[in-house]
This record gives sequence, structure tokens and C-alpha cells, in this order.
Amino acid sequence: MKRIFTRISVLAGICLLAINVAFAQNITVKGRVTDGGDKSTIPSVSVLVKGTQNGTQTDATGAFSINAPANATLVFTYIGYVTQEVPVNNRTTLNIVLASNSQQLDQVVVVGYGTQRKIDVTGSVASVKGEDISKQASVNPISALQGKVAGVNITNSGSPGSSPQITIRGTGTIYGNLGVLYVVDGVWFDDVSFLNPSDIENLSILKDASSQSIYGIRAANGVVLITTKKGKTGDPVISYNGSVGYKKVTNQIEMANATEYATIINELIKSNDATAAPLFANPASYGEGTNWYNQGFRNALQTNHQISVNGGTEKTTYNFSLGYTNEEGIVKTQDYTRYTAKLSNDFQVLKPLKIGYTVSGTAINSNDIDGGIFRQLYAAGPVVPVYYADGSYGDANDFGLGGGNNFNPQVTLDYFNQKSKNYRITGNVYAELTFAKHFTFRTSAGGEFAQNEVRAYAPVYQATQGQRNTQSKLDIKRDENRNWIVENTLTYKNTFGDHNITILAGTTAQRRKNYFINSAAFDVPYSSDGDLYLALGSAGTRTVGDGGSLRTSASYFGRVNYSFKDRYLLNATIRRDGASQFFNGGDLWGNFPAVGAGWVVTSEDFMKDQKVVNYLKLKGSWGKVGNAGVPVNPTTLTIAQGGNLVAFFNGVGYTGASVNSIVPSFLNWERTVGTDLGLEARFLDNRLSIETGFYNKKTQQAIFDINVLSSIGTASSKLIGNQADFQNRGFEFLATYADKTKSDFSYSVSANVGINNNKVLSVITGLNPIYGGGQGIANGALATRTVQGSPIGAFFGYQVAGIFQNAADVAASAQKTSAKPGDFKYVDTNGDGVIDGKDRVVLGNPNPKYSYGLSSTFGYKNFDLTLDIQGVADVDVYNANIAYRFGNENFSKDFYDNRWHGEGTSTTYPSANVGSTANAAPNSFYVEDGSYIRLRNIQLGYVLPASLMNKLSIKKVRVFADAQNAVNLFGYKGFTPEIGYDTGSGPTSRGIDANVYPLSATYRLGLQVTF
Amino acid sequence: MKNYKNNYIQKVSIIALCSTLLTLPACKKDFLNVDPQAQQPAVTFWKSQDDATKAVNAIYGNLRSWENTAFPALAVESIPGDDAEKGSSVNDASYLNNFDNYSASSTEGQFQGFWTGQYQNINLCNQVLANIPAINMDASLKARYLAEAKFVRAYSYFRLVRAFGDVPLRLSLPKDASEFNIPRTPKAQVWAAIEKDLDDAAAGLPQSYPITDLGRATKGAALALHAKVAMYQAKWDQVLSFTNTVMTLGYDLFPNYEQSFRLNNENNIESIFEIQCEIKQNIAGSATSQYSQVQGVRGTVAGWGFNVPTATLAAAYEAGDTRRDATIIFRGETTPEGDIIPATGDNPMYNQKSYVPFSLIITGFNEGAQQNVRVMRFADVLLMNAEAANELGNPTQAKTSLNRVRARARGGVSGVLPDVTSTDKDAIRQAIWKERQVELAMESDRYFDVIRQGRGTAVFGTKGWKAGKNEVWPIPSTEIDLSAGTLTQNPGY
Repeated sequence: MKRIFTRISVLAGICLLAINVAFAQNITVKGRVTDGGDKSTIPSVSVLVKGTQNGTQTDATGAFSINAPANATLVFTYIGYVTQEVPVNNRTTLNIVLASNSQQLDQVVVVGYGTQRKIDVTGSVASVKGEDISKQASVNPISALQGKVAGVNITNSGSPGSSPQITIRGTGTIYGNLGVLYVVDGVWFDDVSFLNPSDIENLSILKDASSQSIYGIRAANGVVLITTKKGKTGDPVISYNGSVGYKKVTNQIEMANATEYATIINELIKSNDATAAPLFANPASYGEGTNWYNQGFRNALQTNHQISVNGGTEKTTYNFSLGYTNEEGIVKTQDYTRYTAKLSNDFQVLKPLKIGYTVSGTAINSNDIDGGIFRQLYAAGPVVPVYYADGSYGDANDFGLGGGNNFNPQVTLDYFNQKSKNYRITGNVYAELTFAKHFTFRTSAGGEFAQNEVRAYAPVYQATQGQRNTQSKLDIKRDENRNWIVENTLTYKNTFGDHNITILAGTTAQRRKNYFINSAAFDVPYSSDGDLYLALGSAGTRTVGDGGSLRTSASYFGRVNYSFKDRYLLNATIRRDGASQFFNGGDLWGNFPAVGAGWVVTSEDFMKDQKVVNYLKLKGSWGKVGNAGVPVNPTTLTIAQGGNLVAFFNGVGYTGASVNSIVPSFLNWERTVGTDLGLEARFLDNRLSIETGFYNKKTQQAIFDINVLSSIGTASSKLIGNQADFQNRGFEFLATYADKTKSDFSYSVSANVGINNNKVLSVITGLNPIYGGGQGIANGALATRTVQGSPIGAFFGYQVAGIFQNAADVAASAQKTSAKPGDFKYVDTNGDGVIDGKDRVVLGNPNPKYSYGLSSTFGYKNFDLTLDIQGVADVDVYNANIAYRFGNENFSKDFYDNRWHGEGTSTTYPSANVGSTANAAPNSFYVEDGSYIRLRNIQLGYVLPASLMNKLSIKKVRVFADAQNAVNLFGYKGFTPEIGYDTGSGPTSRGIDANVYPLSATYRLGLQVTF
Repeated sequence: MKNYKNNYIQKVSIIALCSTLLTLPACKKDFLNVDPQAQQPAVTFWKSQDDATKAVNAIYGNLRSWENTAFPALAVESIPGDDAEKGSSVNDASYLNNFDNYSASSTEGQFQGFWTGQYQNINLCNQVLANIPAINMDASLKARYLAEAKFVRAYSYFRLVRAFGDVPLRLSLPKDASEFNIPRTPKAQVWAAIEKDLDDAAAGLPQSYPITDLGRATKGAALALHAKVAMYQAKWDQVLSFTNTVMTLGYDLFPNYEQSFRLNNENNIESIFEIQCEIKQNIAGSATSQYSQVQGVRGTVAGWGFNVPTATLAAAYEAGDTRRDATIIFRGETTPEGDIIPATGDNPMYNQKSYVPFSLIITGFNEGAQQNVRVMRFADVLLMNAEAANELGNPTQAKTSLNRVRARARGGVSGVLPDVTSTDKDAIRQAIWKERQVELAMESDRYFDVIRQGRGTAVFGTKGWKAGKNEVWPIPSTEIDLSAGTLTQNPGY
């Protein structure tokens, strides 16, 4: 009878229960709610009689009192804590201990297509709480991950709104899509710059192949699963987060001043032509001149506001947030504004059926800067004034400079007019049905619609000789992404005695479509932005071009998780993916299996009596993942048809089209096979926890293009194919110590270090190397070499032995026919008496060997302090700026002070003629140590006393001040050694500083209010 | 009833699940078959006359490329001559000096660029020659298209063999990867292949085109180039016969030497072949020529000021030769088009043959990108005719052709540039060589012309030119690296 009653009540839902309780007798229940962690009392906890609207809240001391039926169930809800349901059972006193969500997340880990108890995980998965991300000044959520997770290397660019480059466990691919896969609430993305960090509940980083393989097709570079905040049962909680601050360039390079500049340019002329007259008759007359960096940089404002409402009943929960971020660039005129809105709703429609959706919208407006501005600020001659006395622009041409620095950067800032607007709607809907007790069927559909518009307008102007425009031009580019993903999973979960089993089976289909259209018109007038339409341009001057890509994929996947007595763990995954990229002459389908096993040693009987180790788990896994991030249809030969092939006859243009490329006949998937061994342990009453792991990851048949003979006559002289095998081997270590003293002092210190060794195992060209890294290097010389036995993209060039001091020195060397005093003296490695390509050697490794971070939090009464330190070590960078010269570009003060300018003046720095072909050739002078350590984030917070706030009906007010990148220590002579790769060239261009965006520090004041 | 509902949900869900799992594989076949987007697959090309037309157009379009007309071409073919030098500011692109003093090594990027540019032309020609024959189209047009492709292929190989000697000879498309890496073919065979192409081209090309096709290769262009090819091999009877034929095809010298190089006199009566260049604002990316830009007067709106005339050239003109002022822009002068050249600046002289008046410079495009590149002029044909006639013992014809060129150069002024009247074969030869120097100055002819004459050491020796080495340039080192030893280097490099 009781069984039947239960069943009916369950099936009938809330109304029957309500009728039922109406007959029960009411009693007064009193008690106190405390935090399971620090045992403090929690005010404002929602206390609700289950199935009714009857509820109350705890007071400032955490105490509550409520009238409820003697057989009722009370629901205790508070944001940040695990909701607890407690049957009254005729008791009049109930003391409740709530576990914080963070503890819960520590125990449950988000993995692909579900969650797993941390104890059951056999792969390598790192979890980061949303609040650790939103605590930083970073506008991009991934940027804030820097230094937080062992083995995850983040390279940030200081440009507002830009996305960082993220490498998980070393560079495993050198072509196509190098980024990790982001899965936001089940929808796949390549970039998450549209996400407001405050909307994130949790990030889960899948580091090893066995955890990644459930995302087979796109997992080879790692997967980051992002769960956004969902509604929680309880009264509405309104939160406001706001901050205001500014960014300031740090470690600014000092350039030569006007006098020094004039001096060194005269030396350069003399070096090129001994008989030529100096350009500057009296260098000292120019004084300090213009400091172009100071002219172009500013302290940039950063403002951030976010408001959210969260709450719900048992049947419906909601989370709604609005965000606003404005970030100025440290270069004048650059500006980035992001608006975000997000709504998620979950409905328990029937006891077995839950449906819900998340939808978020982002709008980004930016005022852009000319991509060459950093080069211009570096190169501009300090002898040129910003403005002449009459207010007109200083003109480099008036000083006879021309060539590589024939510009006034202020003109570029004033006349470069480009605005970008990016709109994006993403979301997903799902339905989850539980049936036959152990089965859950979930179907979800998600998608993204994004539109990006870039509008550039060049007015008619005459600023300097070289910077002018005789005909106005309007350029409009629109770019659209329309992506969808449909997923179905069926999960079976059951326990038989000591056996715990979960089986997952699923299918996915997805489609990713990009379309862009570019157009331009000349002679567009300008009186207001209302004129900026192509229609106003001259007839016969309008152009239009477009393009796009389409990728589809279909996948099947399955996973079995088995554990015995929570002691022996076994996980197995298989995914089969079909990807359209490989359609027509490719290996259309790929299979990606994985297995993992674990042993919780401390669960064994023989460990019961020892007190040293509180917890010990050994784990190991193996898996295979794929990388479909290659160009679409790489094996299909296509027709080239562009403006460069247009023929003119009698002044009229005619379309030209032909074949000017070659393609491989067949392409295999690029696969990564990884093995992972790990250990998790806790000591000292769980205060000290340690996680450590070793991995060995091999990329097989990596896809990229290699140079082929130019005599084949193709436009690019390149051919794509399965070219090489790579290996990343490494070690990761994470230790956390957390404790709380009796004197209201609590702290947690967590240190992580990742060691990675990157190596090329084999290349299809045998011992023939792949040269790369020509971007931003003088004469396009290739500064990196990827060859068997070396790391990917190792710096490669001549070893500098010294500087030629005089003619006799030159005459006695292998460079006797070409060198001049003041030039680099190179080591004749092979001793054949000439310096040529065969003398080049490996000069450095742009892949950091060590990356580390230290995260710590300290709490004392109402104060809290966060302190994060982060760094990399054993890494090299290439300073390409020094030798990237066409003429009279400026020099750094460091170069000026140390240059060779006559016998005996320097044995390490060359003469002003550092830009000559021989001196600019990649060599050891330009390779510098790229190690750095920085105070990544420091934040001090204070929570206003609750007694005061309660009078104002405010639950919590916290004020904070923080600083990001406030202290940076490194030896590198450029702005920052934190240098990624050129996105157009890939990892063979990693670590080359070709006027990178300068590093900046951010200082903020903030306020958080919860109502 | 509740049980029923529960079962119903189960059934629906199982049906939904099964159907989803089943339908996905069912649609997979089409779902994954995605064709290239915004790019025509090559298998659908080469089907119509229109495709053939586009493919031939592409050959002409590519001739404007940077590699064909700008730094790589000027570095390899012009700057090493005694008529031209690097120019620009001392510190700008100083590596170009290595071409002037012959110290350029195989790693100089301009060699790779020049090499690549020629082989890109050759690939586009080979695409046409391989694929057009099978297209069902107008037979006479097809024959003409094939002849046009052969002309450009011959022109490109001529530039290659002249610069490098033995080069890989690709007369067909590589069938597969095994044909990518081929060795250098002895230059005699390369010359033979060029001659064969030019024979075919002359046979298949019309003497002239309707106005709408102005700028395509003509029979006259094929014959004139063949004459030049023959001249480089000292096949004087062929030079004479080809030039004699060209001289019957209606070409003449344009009366005003200076004006013949201006925009409004492109494709004039003297023009044998020009690379057709335009700035069309409504055709994005088509204003690719940087020929005029890189040579434009530095310090003005016109360009960068590279490849400038030398003092040697300025001194080479006889008194009263109108070509001196027409070839050289001097600092401080006012051009016939009214542009005032600043009196001070980096270089004393600039190339006037690539000059585009400042008022016609359009910002937002390469400066002077509308200027055609004069590849061959009738004056060259006359001088080749003169040289061949002289070598073959016909000094009268030699002097007639030579003096025709000199007559125009007087610009209507009497008493200057007297007719050559010598009867001495060697003196006439010297006069013709001298005439070539001034008539064709700054047109990328001089350097290889002097080498052909066997006077490399005599003319360029003071600049560092070495016999036995500098007759040809080095094969680009990157290309040798990529060939894994299949390609060999020229002696001395």
C-alpha cells in the first residue's frame, strides 16, 4: 500500500502531494544553517516547504523558524551551495550543514557528454571554477586560465577583445585549426571571446587522449568544456558585479632619441656608401625629438558591469544575466565594447521529463587600429615632429627618410577609420527523458548565428607626401557563421551490489557554414556615417567578392564506465567520425578508441589502518583522437580565378581562370595517440592534495603543407599532405594545501608545473627540414626549422662568433669577400672556408619546456586576498624587429647604446647596418631567452559586515581592488616575451616578435552586490 | 491510467531514439558530400570555349606579376647592366646592390622570385596546351589559343635560359609526384624547345587582331622574339630572315620617342609586344603591376625610385640625341607632361620609360599600375636586322636599318646623330651595339645583350663581372635544397 502511494505521488506530481500535506498537522521547526567547510553560519538561506510557496529565510545568524506539516520536507537553497532536502519527521529542531558548490565540483567533474565523480575519472581532467575566472581583469575567459592548470599554456595578446592562443600539452599539430575545441553547454566553438566570464559556472579541461576521444573528430588539440550558470531553486538572487580600471603599457621599449637617431642613420649611410654625404649635418640639433611610443600610447580605461538574476521553483529554474564591458586599447583610438545577454530556463515538465534551453546574445562594437601601427611606432624617425609649427603633420619625406618609415604614425591614427560590429546568438534546447528506472535519453539541438561586419572608410586627405588619398574609398566586409549541432545520447546507469556501471551511446550531426562578402566603392562622400553606403560611390568603381566554407560531420560514440567497490575503475570509449573535409579522395571515416583504468588504493582493506595517506589513486589511460581541422576538400583540385589573372585587351578587363595549384591524391586523418599515467593523493587530513601525471602524446600523419619545387609553377609552391609525426612528452604536477586556523584565518595555496618536450619523430621528406617563420623577418628569411629529432619550429640560423672589428679581421675570415667591419662574424660550422646555408645551426626552442603557476587565496574575517603568479622557463624568442629594416627605421636605445661604431666599440652588437642581407639573416644575436615570471593577478576584497547590510535588505556587498600583470620579470629586450605564433603561418612561426601587441598591466576597483 | 502514461512515454522515447539513431546513418551519404565552396572544381573546367578563353586570359594576366615585372625581374635583367643601378635611398633594399656588383649569391630572394615567376607563366601555358585540345570549340580559335600559349611559354623559357643557362624543361604538366623533381635540361635543348614553340606560334597567330583583342600576341611578336632567340645563338641567317619578315608586317617607328612610352600611346605602331596593365577600380586585385611604382621618382607621389639610369648611360648619348632626355628624368627638370621633379633628393636620375605623370597616379593602387611594360619594340627588330645583315656581309641593309632608328632619334633636328656611313664591318657592329645601348636603355635589354656580344669583362669588368661565372646567375638555393640534389648549381656559385 505504501509503495503504491509513493508511486502515485511521484507520478501525479506536486498537486497530489499538496493535497496530502493539507491533512497533516503543522508544527514549528527551528534551527540554524552552517557552512560545511568553515562552519560559519549562513544568512539568507531560502527555506521552503517542499511543494508549497510557504517559505522563509535564515537571519543574520543563520537561524530560521518555519511552520510546516510534521511530515513535510524542507528545501534549503542558497546560491553557491548544494540544495538540500530534509524530511521534518516530527522534529522541531533541524540544524543543517550545507555543502558549498565548490566542494561539489571538486567531487563531480564535467566530462564529455556528462559528469563523473572525480573518484571515477581515469584520464586527466582539470576543473576550474567560474569564479576563479571572473575574478580577473581579463575580458576573455580563456585568458584568465593562464597559469591555472598544469600543462595548459596560454599566450595572451594585449589587444582588446582578442582571443589568446592556448596549447594543451605541447604543440601537436602545425596546420589548419590549431586551437582547442570549446564545448559550451553542448555546442561546439572554435573561439569563446563572446562569453562573459561572469556567466561561467565551470571550465573543464580535457587533457589526455582518453578523456578527449569522445570528441574524436576535433579533440587532438585538447577540449575545454564550459558550463554556464543555470538557475537554482529558491528566491530570486540578484547580483551585481562591476569594476572600473585602466590599462597601462608595461616594460615599454626605449627607442633612440632624435640626436641618437640622426647619428646612427648617418653611420648607416656611411656603411652603405662610404662616399655618400650624411643625411643629418648636425645630429645634436635635433635634441630629444618625438617619442612616438608616448605619442601613440595611453592609459586605457576598462569598465565592466554585469547583473544577473537567478532563482526558481522545483518545476522551473531560471538564470538571466546582462553584461557590459568596455575596454580601450593602449593605442589611441582603439576601443572595444561588448554587450552580453544570457537566459537559461529549465522545466521539470513531468517527473521523468525535463526540458530546457540556454540562449545568449552578444554584440561587440569596436574601433580598430591599423595592423601596422606597432611597426610604425617602432620605426618612425624621432627627428620628425608630430606636427609642424603651423599645425600640419610632420613629414618623414621632408627629412629625406622615406622607404621603410615614410610615415607619421599620428596620421595613421587619425585617418585609419575602421569599425567592426559582431553580433552573435548562440543557444541550445534539450529534452531529457528518464525511463525504465536506469535509462536517460537526452536530445539536444544547438547552434550559432554570428555576423561580423567590418566597415573601413578612407577619406580624401593629404597629410604627408606618403600618406594621402586622392579618392575616398569605402570597404564593407560581412562575414556570417551559421552552425548547428544535434546530439542524442542514451545513458544506462545501474548498480549491482559492488558493481557500478554507466553506459552511454550517442550520435551527433553538425554543420558549419561560413559565408563572407566583401565590397568596396570609390568616391563615397562623407558628411556623417549616414553617407557610408556603397550606393553613394561612383558608378563603375564598385567591386564585390565573396567566399565561404561548409563543413559537415556525423559521428557515433559510446562509453562504458565501470567501477567495482569504488576501488577498481575501468572506462572505455569509442567514437566514429565522418568529416566532409575528407570527402572526395580522403579517408572519410575515422575511428577513435580509448581505455582507462584506475585503482583507488586507499579503498583497499589493507590501507584502512594507516593514517598517512588519506586518499591515493593510481590511474592510467590510452586513447586516440583526430584532427579534422584541415582546409575543406584538400584533395580537390580547384580553379584559380582572381584579379591577378584578369587579362586586359584594349583596356578592357576579361576574366582569367586556370589551375595554378596541386593537390594530393589522398589524405589520411591526422591522429594523436596518447598515453597517460597519473596519481592522486591527499595527506594531512586532506589538507594537502597532490596530483601528478606523465603523458606521452604522438601525432601521427600530421597534415600540413610543405614547400615543393617552384618549377612546378604553382602559385604557392606548396603541397598539403600527411607529412610528419610529432611527439609531446611531459610531466605535470599540482599540489594544493588548504587550511583554516581557529583565528578566522583560512588559506589555500596551489602550485602547478608542467614540463613538456616537443620533438619531431619523422618527416615525409626524410631528413629534409621544413623551413618556416618568415613572417616579419627581414627579407622573409626563414628563421625556423622543423626536422626529425628537433622541436617543431626550432630557431635556426648562423651562430654569431663576434663582430668584425677591422679590415684585417674581415680578410682573415670566411666572409672575406662579403663582410665589412661592424658586420656579424659567423661561425664556419663545417669549416669549409665559406659561410653559407650549411653553416646554420639550431639556435633555440620557441616551445616552453616549463610552464608554472601559483594560485593562492587567503581569508581573514571579512578580508580576502588572491595572489596568482605565473611564468614559463626554458624557452626562446626571436626578436625580428631589430633587423626588419628597409631604410631609415629607428633603432632601440639598447641597440644604439651597444652598437659597433668603430673598432673596439662592441664585440656583440653589429653596426647600424644590421639590416643588410647578411646581418639580418637569422642568427643567434636575435634569439633571446623568453623566460618570464609575473604577478598575474592580485586581488584584495572586503565583505561589508552582514549586520549593516541586513538593515538595507542586501545580502552581501564586497568591494575589491586588483591588478593584473602588475609585475613582470624577464630579460627579453622587446615588449614582452609572451609571443604566440602568426595565425597565418602556424606554429613554425612561434616565438617570433614581429612588433607584437605590447604587454599591459590592468588596475581595477570593483563592487559586488547580492540582493 | 498512470501506468499507461508511463508506458506511453517509454514507447515514444524508444521510437524517437531508434528513429534518430537510424535516420542519421541513412542521411549520412549526402550529408558528408560537401563540394568545394566558392571555388570551381577543376573537373568541371576545360569543358567549353569559354573555359579555354579564361585559361588563355590567365596567362596574360599573370605576366603583370611582381616576379615578372618588378624587383625580381629588374634585379636579374636590368640592374646588373651598365645602364641601370639600384637607386632609391642608400639604405633602402641595399641587397639590390649585389646584382649591380655581381656578388649576389644563390640565396638572394630575387632569384627565387624570378625563377618562380617564369615557371608560373609556364604552368599556365602548359595547362592550356594540355587541356584545350580536347575541348569542343571553334577550331581556328583553338589553334590561335594554343599558339598564344606557346608564345608566352617561349618568352618565359627565353628569360630563364638567358638568366640561368640549363633549366628544368617542362613542356607538359607533371602526371604525378614522380614528375615534380626533374633535372636541368642542357640549354641547347631549351633553346630548341623555344624555337619550336615560336615556329608553332608564328604559324598559328594572326598578324593583327580586332581592336577588342588588342594586346594579344601576334605573328609579328612570335617572329621578332624568334629573331632575338636566334640572335642570342648567333644564328644570323635566321635573325635576318625573321626580321625581314617582321619589317613587312606594317610596323613602323613611332615618330616621337618620348611620347611612345606614355599611357596614351600604348600599343602604338612600333609596339611588337607589351604586357597589358590597367587600373580598373571595379575589378578588385587586377592592378597588380608594380613596374612603374618601383621605378617612380622617389620623394614624389610616383614611387620608390629603384632601377635608375647610371652616369654611364647619361654619358653614352651623342650630342643632340633626343633619347637622352626621353629616357632619363633628371632632378630639377620639368617633364614634358608638366611635372616638376624636386631638385634635391636621393638620386640624380630616374627611368623615364616607366614614368606615369603624377596627375595620373591614383592612390589606393600601386602607383602607375596602368602603365604597359614594353617587352619588344620595332626599333629592336630594326637593330637586330642591322646586326644580322652586317654579320652576313650586307652592310648596306645593316646601315639602312640602323640609320632608320637614328633618324627618329633626331627628333626632327638636323645636324645631329649623323647617319652611320662606315664600311668597316666591325665599326658597323660597334655602331649597332652602341645604338642598342641607347635606343633600348632601361628596357632590361642591355645586360644580357653585352654578355651575348661577348663583352662582359670589357663592359662590366670594372663592376666585378667575371668571365666563366657571371654569364649566368646562380640557381636559387631553395630550389636546389628542395630538389635534394637533383638540381645542380652553376659554376662559381
